[in-house]
Amino acid sequence: MNDGSGPRRLTRRGALTAGLSLFGAGCLGGGGDGDGARSLSTHPVGTDLSTQPRLGPEPGLAPATIVAFEDPSCPRCAAFERNTVPQIRTELVDPGEATFVARTIPVVYPWGGPATYALEATFARDADAFWTLAAHYFDRQDTFDRDNVLDRTESFLAAETDVDAAGVVADAEREAHADAVQTDLDASEAADVDGTPTVFLFRDGEYRTRATGSVSFDFVTGALEP
Amino acid sequence: MALRLPLHADDWRLMSRTARLVLGGPVYAGVALAAAGVALVGFVLSQNVAAVRDVFVGRVPVVILTELFPFVGTSYGPVTGAVVVVVAALVGVDVALVTYHVREHRLSAESGGGSLLGVVLGTLGAGCAACGSAVIAGLLSLFGAAGLVTLLPLDGLEFSILALAALVLSIHWLAEGMRGGEIRGCPVDAKE
Repeated sequence: MNDGSGPRRLTRRGALTAGLSLFGAGCLGGGGDGDGARSLSTHPVGTDLSTQPRLGPEPGLAPATIVAFEDPSCPRCAAFERNTVPQIRTELVDPGEATFVARTIPVVYPWGGPATYALEATFARDADAFWTLAAHYFDRQDTFDRDNVLDRTESFLAAETDVDAAGVVADAEREAHADAVQTDLDASEAADVDGTPTVFLFRDGEYRTRATGSVSFDFVTGALEP
Repeated sequence: MALRLPLHADDWRLMSRTARLVLGGPVYAGVALAAAGVALVGFVLSQNVAAVRDVFVGRVPVVILTELFPFVGTSYGPVTGAVVVVVAALVGVDVALVTYHVREHRLSAESGGGSLLGVVLGTLGAGCAACGSAVIAGLLSLFGAAGLVTLLPLDGLEFSILALAALVLSIHWLAEGMRGGEIRGCPVDAKE
């Protein structure tokens, strides 16, 4: 079944294809050729940044700015929120060293869509309630689906926050904050975000790096060191 | 030609013995280690080419790249991290066997194809495991099949498992191809 030319032809073609596949996968998760030339004020992720949910001071006032694209239904985003964000809060945001900005995009599972609209509707009413609801989504991802997410959202908001839970759900159902969601989607597209979570790290207003995946706190601090 | 699968204990013993004999040679052990290392680095860093670029241009220190690897940083959970490492290790074994087979015998097309498939699926699997199903959703959407990702109960780990299967098949076919021969003077036969 072997002939003399088979192995060599296959090997060359195989090496080329393997190389292309690695490169292609890199393109899927990498992207962002123009990042380095951009500051926070000109980078696509900085679009309408001051109107986004944030922890810490106004973007640009703290030495570091962390912009995270997340989907409430994304399992690796939940891992990022569980493993890394608490340390970002206590060791960077609370001392005033960094601002953490969340940009929510519905790109993974179907229930992430209504959840994202509910998050925007909640944020429009109460910023603190936004973080409470986002944490709930990440903590209890396995309990949500497209059919129950808004019912569960209403129950949770009514029990745990002071916002008008029925109003949030009504807004989410009619996608009242579609413009806000689209702004985040447009920013993610302009910045070549292909996976969630993707974090963009800026120091003194200048782009440092970006990473897709539930990166560690050490990655974040290493990239942001003065 | 019928597809030969490793369905019997003898098949697995043959694969194990073949791998042991080939990797017993320091050159092929080195090839395996190097290939496994390259595979792991490729799987992991190909998901964050921008960060690699930013290291190269001096914006961020190189040490942060270590944080992207399984069991060093938090990009992979324990199960997905283990699968990615195992896939990389199998790529190493596979490449060593392919190298030995190419040098000592003729390589069959199905063996080489299985190796390549393992590398491709391993890369996809690492991407899915590291950053959620959005990566594979993006890829599937190219084929108009973005909704399929919701059918993956393991959030994309399925591709790493497919990579494992492809590599095991490749190693099986390579071992079969060497059956009846000798490796460093030892007969390749599962029935010792």
